Amino acid sequence: MSQVLKEKPHAEEVPITGAAGMILDGRYSPPPEDKDGKLWVRTSTLIQTPPQDLYELWRNVDLAPKWQEQISQVVSTGKDTSHWVKESDGETIEWESEVLADEPGKRIAWRSLGSESDNAGEVIFEDAPGDRGTMVTVLQEFRMGKLASAWETFVGRNPKQAVIENLRHFKALAETGEIPRTEGQPHGDRGVVGKVKAATYGETIPTPSSSK
Amino acid sequence: MKAVCWMGKSKVETLTVADPQLLNPHDAIVKITRTAICGSDLHLYDGYIPTMESGDILGHEFMGIVEEVGKDVTNLRRGDRVVVPFTIACGNCLFCKKKIWAACDNSNPNAHLMEAAYGYSGSGLFGYSHMMGGYAGGQAQYVRVPFANVGPLKIESDLPDEKVLFLSDIFPTGYMAAENAQIQAGDTVAVWGCGPVGQFAIASAFMLGAARVIAIDRLPERLDLARAIGAITVDYSDQDVSVLTALRDLTAGIGPDACIEAVGLEAHSAELQGTYDKIKVALLMETDRPSVLRQAIQAVRKGGTLSIPGVYGGLLDKVPFGAAFGKGITMKMGQTNMHNYMKPLLHRIEQGQIDPSYIISHLITLEQAPEMYKVWRDKKESVTKIVIDPWAETAA
Repeated sequence: MSQVLKEKPHAEEVPITGAAGMILDGRYSPPPEDKDGKLWVRTSTLIQTPPQDLYELWRNVDLAPKWQEQISQVVSTGKDTSHWVKESDGETIEWESEVLADEPGKRIAWRSLGSESDNAGEVIFEDAPGDRGTMVTVLQEFRMGKLASAWETFVGRNPKQAVIENLRHFKALAETGEIPRTEGQPHGDRGVVGKVKAATYGETIPTPSSSK
Repeated sequence: MKAVCWMGKSKVETLTVADPQLLNPHDAIVKITRTAICGSDLHLYDGYIPTMESGDILGHEFMGIVEEVGKDVTNLRRGDRVVVPFTIACGNCLFCKKKIWAACDNSNPNAHLMEAAYGYSGSGLFGYSHMMGGYAGGQAQYVRVPFANVGPLKIESDLPDEKVLFLSDIFPTGYMAAENAQIQAGDTVAVWGCGPVGQFAIASAFMLGAARVIAIDRLPERLDLARAIGAITVDYSDQDVSVLTALRDLTAGIGPDACIEAVGLEAHSAELQGTYDKIKVALLMETDRPSVLRQAIQAVRKGGTLSIPGVYGGLLDKVPFGAAFGKGITMKMGQTNMHNYMKPLLHRIEQGQIDPSYIISHLITLEQAPEMYKVWRDKKESVTKIVIDPWAETAA
């Protein structure tokens, strides 16, 4: 049913269970485990938008700042390459990204090239059973580095949750044309406890804006 | 503008805050003409709902005049008079398409908090904790309404605010509770809690064909209202009354066909189990006090239906699930799928089938709100429903 990534987006050969696919020979296959400093996250969502449209939205990397948290700019540098800038707590991280697999309407796989963020990922778009929309599954891999410092994991969005939130933003943008937000709304004095709560709840991380 | 803010447990203040702005293309700004305090706001006041932040603007029952609309709102314009549902729904996700609007996938910016607590997230709500979205509420002079293309109901007749305001929550909530009770013509229905939701559940049960409604509470002002709309009342605080015996007596021993639990997590109980729950909650061994839920499971007839509009927040202890299984009952519950009910219920109001304003006991100013939270929580001054005029300077 779902496709299985045969090649690994990153350097080494991928174990067969490491691909974004959830089903292999009729059996559920669990996400890969974190080990040797490598973190994996696999997450999925159901979107009421055709696979081809979703593929196009994802593949147009210039639009990523509209739905990916803390990505301030993406510039295409070639057919399959792009330059990414992430701003997080006043710190800027930049990296190059390369598309490794590109199957229109079905699948995209990518990896970073050297530089400050060591990541790789894959997204697949499949018709949900029973005509219920499109199942979108993302598998993302990171190595701990500047991107995922312990401080950021504690205070900000840990990188695994960021993947989950970005997919949620992607879905909202595709289904409604906007991403739900509350920053900028009125409130009374938060006090110290209220501010700590807001940070703990992830509310200090700017919500990407479709009007960017 | 002026707004009623939650400043901590049992602490509510009327403060001057910034006016709301359009933040998204489907937003509208509404100038509020009437708003209300909901019984569920008392759960916030009492600190039972986690993820509140100091400074949060309270209130999820409001209506008013559209002041400004975002660029993608095509169905509303400045000057339209609208009632706004307390649940926020995008209209496009799988759940909205299935008309389970309260389960909307796209309206809660803090969905991850609810996922951590409950496994899945529901829709965003106005003024009801950050787990439910952290949206500023409507006990204020203005409010920002997200997905304004989907939720607000236009009022085109000249019905006064007081007759249509409760379409924002409690009338649809009471109605859905009666619908969830799967009432058949001729049924006997028991309703625990004769606050605003209980009142509308009683009225709706009759609309849906109930032959007899038995209403259970302890406050005389609420029991009076329930009798006024045709219910038989049982005062559980009367030392000679056992609710279970009363319900058996009034149903020839078989129990009510349907039970509606309109009390929720802060139930009071005249029995020993009330003390038991208070101790367990104090020791953090339980979060909610489910004494009414237990009683309703025991009371409902074999194969009957239990409908739960009362709000629950967490973990419950000693719920008689064996009795529920043994009798083969159906349980239905959840936040109200507001958008299904607003138009049909407006029609019933326009037809004169019901005047929801009968429950109002107090009309107050924003400045009076903090005091009235306390008055209602302490069940003083015979409060049945508090409505706020956010532009009045002096008390009505």
